[in-house]
Amino acid sequence: MTQLIEAAIKLRDSALRAGFEEAAVLAESVESIMVKFANSEPSVIQRWSTRTAHVYLAKQQRILGTSVPLSSPDEAARIIAELHALHTKVPPSMLYAPLPEPPKPQPLEGLVDKKLLEVLHDPSGVSEAIVETARRHPIDHFAGMFQVALERKALATSKGVELEEEGTSLKMYIRAFAGEGSGQWALGSRRYDIKRIEEVAATAADLAVKSRSQEEVPPGKYDIILSPMVVGNLFNIVAEMASASSILMGASMFINKDVGDKVASDALTIIDAPRNAELPGSTAFDDEGVPTYTKPIIEKGVLRNILHNSKTASKFGASSTGNAGLILPRVWTIEVAPGEHSLEEMLREVKNGLIVTNNWYTRLQNYVEGIFSTITRDATLIVRNGEVVGAARKMRIADALPRMITNIAAIGKEVYDIHWWEVDIPTRTPYILFREVNTSKHTA
Amino acid sequence: MPWQHEDIVLKAVDYALSLGAKYAEARYHRTSRSSLASRNGEVIGAEKSFSEGIGVRVLADGAMGFSSTNVLEWDSVKKAVEEAFSKARSHGRLMRSPIELSEEKVGRASYEVIEKKRPEDVGIEEKVSYCSDLWKHASAAIKTARVATLTTSIGESVEEKVIANSDGAFIRSRVPRVSVWYNVVVTLPSKGTVQRFFSHAASGGYEWFEKWNVLGYLPEDVKTFEKIILEAKAPPTDRPVDVVVGSEIVGLMVHESCGHPSEADRILGREAAQAGKSFIKPSMLGQRIGNENATVIDDPTIPGSNGFYLYDDEGVPARPRYLYKEGLINEFLHNRWTARVFKTRSNAAARAMDYASEPIIRMANTYFKPGDHTLEELIEGVRYGVYIKSYMEWNIDDERWSQRYGGLEAYLIENGELKGLVKNPVLEITTKTFYSSVDAADRNLAFYAGTCGKGEPMQGVPVWFGGPNVRLRNIQLRVIA
Repeated sequence: MTQLIEAAIKLRDSALRAGFEEAAVLAESVESIMVKFANSEPSVIQRWSTRTAHVYLAKQQRILGTSVPLSSPDEAARIIAELHALHTKVPPSMLYAPLPEPPKPQPLEGLVDKKLLEVLHDPSGVSEAIVETARRHPIDHFAGMFQVALERKALATSKGVELEEEGTSLKMYIRAFAGEGSGQWALGSRRYDIKRIEEVAATAADLAVKSRSQEEVPPGKYDIILSPMVVGNLFNIVAEMASASSILMGASMFINKDVGDKVASDALTIIDAPRNAELPGSTAFDDEGVPTYTKPIIEKGVLRNILHNSKTASKFGASSTGNAGLILPRVWTIEVAPGEHSLEEMLREVKNGLIVTNNWYTRLQNYVEGIFSTITRDATLIVRNGEVVGAARKMRIADALPRMITNIAAIGKEVYDIHWWEVDIPTRTPYILFREVNTSKHTA
Repeated sequence: MPWQHEDIVLKAVDYALSLGAKYAEARYHRTSRSSLASRNGEVIGAEKSFSEGIGVRVLADGAMGFSSTNVLEWDSVKKAVEEAFSKARSHGRLMRSPIELSEEKVGRASYEVIEKKRPEDVGIEEKVSYCSDLWKHASAAIKTARVATLTTSIGESVEEKVIANSDGAFIRSRVPRVSVWYNVVVTLPSKGTVQRFFSHAASGGYEWFEKWNVLGYLPEDVKTFEKIILEAKAPPTDRPVDVVVGSEIVGLMVHESCGHPSEADRILGREAAQAGKSFIKPSMLGQRIGNENATVIDDPTIPGSNGFYLYDDEGVPARPRYLYKEGLINEFLHNRWTARVFKTRSNAAARAMDYASEPIIRMANTYFKPGDHTLEELIEGVRYGVYIKSYMEWNIDDERWSQRYGGLEAYLIENGELKGLVKNPVLEITTKTFYSSVDAADRNLAFYAGTCGKGEPMQGVPVWFGGPNVRLRNIQLRVIA
């Protein structure tokens, strides 16, 4: 038994002694390092060592919670006592359901890569490899970062759950600049592979060079191939909208949909994939100790699963899908099922369109209707009659998510593992061709 | 104020210097939070949490290392110092431009914000009733459409810091804040949906809740949202019109298109792979970005503000910064690194979200300088146009040039009078067009609360942004189809 699970058990028992009927303690220990680059050199090297406990407490159907440093058990006990004193003063929670008594989960193998632990100790070799790869390309300069982490979690609940898990992760992205152009690419993985790291830098540099000279493209409707960076960003939003909490809180385009409803093109399958041990975010058990499993959110265009913990499942008359956060459900990792097309084949499908390789600042006018806009920020390539003929200046995609996921024409067969600022949930996805996407630009 | 951890902070700085650091800084940083969340008047749950730890920054061999720990024992803090130092030094050979800091008169001071109505004097029963009353009044306000969802969160926090650095700074501060956030969805399935996210936040105590008066205005807003669904017509998009932009949008516009591009670290490319670069280049101080009506100030020292502080996290005393002044790019936001590069002085913009975050350049409270009109006068001066009072969707490109705001509550103006509601007008213009098109501003100065995101890992820090209502001439609007 490790110190981490011991600490979780101790805190759980102390909460029960304080008078709570139920308690779940998720203790987390994170050792992490990040090298951030700007102007082709390191701008800062950051190293974190953090141990935190997240605590769920319930009594007489009241729900209370806290997050505290694990190193302050006395203060944690004081806060738990304060929360116990509060419980009689708040009404029962509209979300309350008893903590589950789940079966033991099948451990997920291969979450730790010892090579990443070495990088955690000395990241300078990876830093040098990134700088060297970038130097081999005709770019002006690059920026970006890589982060390596060892994350341990331990869960102890009043229903007898006592579980531990540890995993390593690598998150990185590089943005290269050349003339007017820029290119950005990213990677999320649980494994160290210097080739994949160098590929991120090389892809970013290649896109920067391809967009070195840019021209204005008028706003209008275009067939657009979205890169895995952009698909990842938009489908993070779609997947989160399938969480029961988003539906309850009025932040979902699935509010007026039922499981079994057709919501997208037949070609589209989006999966919550917690048991894909290659992606950061994968885990064998959720924050209530329920074994996770891989499930489609949308399968062949049909809404298949709303993501639940035991509380939202009770509210919806459903079963937990193994997506519990301590209070609300969460998405673990996302996979988009690959199609059959190569990128070249998809290009041939485009007469007058664009390849948008990266975007940022996606905001919604209305979650229920899925109306949004987002801005291109790196290479946006102009496609005429199946060929890339130039690069476009920045513009917006301004459309509605329900309409876009219905208008999918082709899905690529090669997948990429993306994790960065704008793709917060690690996502494995191919390129996707969308028909008749609305674009916009400033008027003056 | 019960100060703690002063010794360990000073010891960390001394230890870093003993290792050979050229500069060292240590910050004890604690944030305690409480919140109550509800949906449709029913409580979801209550939370009380805190985070605390020590963040250390060390300059060695021209590279900057940062390390943090939330284990407040000397062995852990010592290890954090060693990690920051060794990781910086191991990257020294990759530094083409070794990092140096400007010389500053750093402070030795203590300050705190005092709550007039302390959180401990407001019972949780009162907060429960507040959420319940909000739902009752808002949901009963309309008859044809319905309020599908009203999610509410009431929060309070206390941020405490002890900062020391090797240049002699020693700053202790305590800033309490309160907030209320809501998401309301008004729907009539046959006609459509209107959604509004909004938050209030400020430094101080529960005295702010009376000023915000959400209970008073939200039912009226809900009535307006119902009217938007039932009555709003398409905005004029066939020709350029005059646009009165509500202070809520003006505030966001100055934050996005003046504050962010004026951050000197962004101008130097440090955030290029994250929040992006800036259309402002290092040589553009003094260049024209707008007309004489365009003055934007960022001021951390506004009492009660969400972004309030008197010394930044590098120990530099805070002051108002005139970023755009009468249409000219006037001043950048600096920390000590960018000040050194630009051969100037820091204007105290370095701020960290928590102990685990490095201090980086941040806005505090950014606002457009008010004018001398009233709102009525602004509207009276429009023969044909639109008044856009509030927004939902917005974004701006990563150089802060092309910006877009999707109007929520908006009205047609004809012959100086407000006519009916218009639906989903979009203001999509460049930064220069905005600051060059303002022909008048009213005397109001309203502030709006936000959490500004920047950095890697992402740091969300509390800010205000605000301004008056302003009038733009000859703007081509778009509409969300």
